[in-house]
Amino acid sequence: MYAAWTFKHKPKSISEVVGNREAIQKFVSWVKSWEKGVPKKRAAFLYGPPGIGKTVTVEALANDYKMELVEKNASDYRTEDAVKRFAGLASQYSSLFGGKRLILLDELGGLTGTADRGGVRATIDIVKTAQCPIVLIANNAYDPRFSTLRNYCLLIEFKKPSAGDVMRHLKRICPREGIEAEENALKFIARRSEGDVRSAVNDLQALAQGKERLTYEDVSWLGYRDRKEVIFTVLRMILYGKTCEGAKRAVDMADVDVNMLFEWIYENAPAHLSDPHDLARAMDALSLADVYRGRVRDTQNWSLIRYVIDFMTAGVAMARVNTKASGWIPFRFPQRIRMLSRSKAERAMQLKIGYKIKRRCHISAVRASKEILPYLRIIFKNSVDVAAGLSKWLDLDTEMVEYLAGNKKQASAVIKELAS
Amino acid sequence: MSFEMWAEKYRPKTLDDMVDQKEIVERLKSFVKSRNVPHCIFAGPPGTGKTTAALCLARDLYSSAYREHILELNASDARGIDVVRETVKTFARVRSIGEVRFKIMILDEADNMTSAAQQALRRTMERYTETCRFILIANYSGKIIEPIQSRCAPFRFTYLPRAEHDSHLKQIAEKENVKLLDDGLDAVFEVCSGDLRKAINTLQAAASLNKPVDAKVVYSIAGRAHPADVRELINIAMNGNFTEARKKLRGMIQKYGVAGSDIIRQIHTELFKTDVPEPWKIRLADVIGEIDYRLVEGADEEVQLSALLARLVETSHELRRAE
Repeated sequence: MYAAWTFKHKPKSISEVVGNREAIQKFVSWVKSWEKGVPKKRAAFLYGPPGIGKTVTVEALANDYKMELVEKNASDYRTEDAVKRFAGLASQYSSLFGGKRLILLDELGGLTGTADRGGVRATIDIVKTAQCPIVLIANNAYDPRFSTLRNYCLLIEFKKPSAGDVMRHLKRICPREGIEAEENALKFIARRSEGDVRSAVNDLQALAQGKERLTYEDVSWLGYRDRKEVIFTVLRMILYGKTCEGAKRAVDMADVDVNMLFEWIYENAPAHLSDPHDLARAMDALSLADVYRGRVRDTQNWSLIRYVIDFMTAGVAMARVNTKASGWIPFRFPQRIRMLSRSKAERAMQLKIGYKIKRRCHISAVRASKEILPYLRIIFKNSVDVAAGLSKWLDLDTEMVEYLAGNKKQASAVIKELAS
Repeated sequence: MSFEMWAEKYRPKTLDDMVDQKEIVERLKSFVKSRNVPHCIFAGPPGTGKTTAALCLARDLYSSAYREHILELNASDARGIDVVRETVKTFARVRSIGEVRFKIMILDEADNMTSAAQQALRRTMERYTETCRFILIANYSGKIIEPIQSRCAPFRFTYLPRAEHDSHLKQIAEKENVKLLDDGLDAVFEVCSGDLRKAINTLQAAASLNKPVDAKVVYSIAGRAHPADVRELINIAMNGNFTEARKKLRGMIQKYGVAGSDIIRQIHTELFKTDVPEPWKIRLADVIGEIDYRLVEGADEEVQLSALLARLVETSHELRRAE
């Protein structure tokens, strides 16, 4: 299973947190001020839109200053008991082991309704008497529910990081995952995230995981934000569908045509169906869907498309018998669509070299490109002088040499040898 | 220092140089002696000397002027009827000047010609017999239409016997200063099964690694050089890795342009050579047959073959459970 990159590549130190320098500075000096005694405001209230690094900042700071971070989500401290336990924790700055303590109450916005009214009130009580820094986090500090609470807090606004900031973060992740990413591919993801770093990292993972290179081509299909979510929802409905009807309904939601949706399902089904019997059933359903596609083509009878849809959606959904849903598995853009244009160009190049071989080797260009070219490729990778000699003998141009050498470095070595 | 592909460098130049296919060579020599050559079909598996024999025959017949007297045409690259009409006719109808009164047209990979082109060729062959003799080269003579076959002297080329295969490769290795180890030689034979061109290419590629050529080197070369080899595809699937298998299949289809029908035919052949328990083989044959049929009906080769791969993965899983 995969670890979510948002978790795996979370900043460990505040120096790694992108954007919001001012807010972070303000927050750091407030925490530092506790060294000189309890400050006027015993709580800091960090607020701002989701995914921009509020929680991450607190965690990174705790890490930098070796503080013991006690983290609670809104849902954790609703009951009176929990609040009391909490009040106890908050009454001491130093923890049992001598380290400084930092208390984080995250997702304050999650306290809703009458049942939680006590929660806000209890929070105020804790803040009033706290002997250690308390950090509150919510998207909107100006929610009327927090009006009293606000008075006891140092308000720190977090803003959306710029696209450049988001990009810096993505750029840090890529080499760690062994990905070579094109500048404009990352720029595209960063822009589209509109400052939501978390969603940008999620996008990057969905698009780049398991790849060595990420190109602009790979990401440009994303279009605007909703689109990806739509196709991912649709795929979820199909790959995890419980009823035929539900899986089939997904087609109406998808904003891609049936063939493209087929590609998405065909690409992603294997990763989501780990049981070999389930997978065989799903692939068989896709095979049958494809047979109906062939029949539509042969008869030009478009009403047959409904059977294509049956098999590719309901057929795949019903294939899941043994596989349990587990872990986070990313959806991937159909890889062969990506490959298609590249391989077309590649085959044209192979044939061009085939014609060069034909002139020398009494074999058709077609067969030469399949039967002799692979050996040339091996030779070009291994031996610069033989490669140069054969390039001359076959009268290959630079482009062909580059293709056979496989990488620029080897190619330029061969070309240099040729010139000497 | 000059570099060539060794398969060309060591291609025999005259019939006397040709040490293999002895009976055929003897008959060809008698053609040279009598200064007369009938239309011929050279049929046989790849890398057994068909093209070489045709070129040697021409060289012996015309000596240094052979280039002006032959036309080598490759049916795989130009297999339509237009080529026959234009190129073949233009060449065939002009009488040659010199001691031998006819030219030789070498039509390589002739089994790839369309049947319309073959029909056109049949008439051309009749009409210009005086001025031009045809040597048709093919892997399967069965793909050449009956009327042409009946006008040609058939020659069946067979794979080189092991001993001859070995002595060829050893000679080349010696001349090229390559250390060819015994197990490397075994591996070449196993991988290329007597196809000498493939064997020599393998040897040359292996030599580029600049170390003694042993079995390991040969297998790694063969693995990289033969994307169409389905054995690896089957192995990956039978090891239970569907995603990898599909990736490999995709590469074969998209990158190397291997036809789905070729892949399934090979899977069918290889299946019976695997160590899958006997009763399973016939069950899998049913699956393969079904997919083969769907391949014709369906729209997408990769999707169909993937379904087959998924079944292989499923089978491997059941076999492991049964163990």
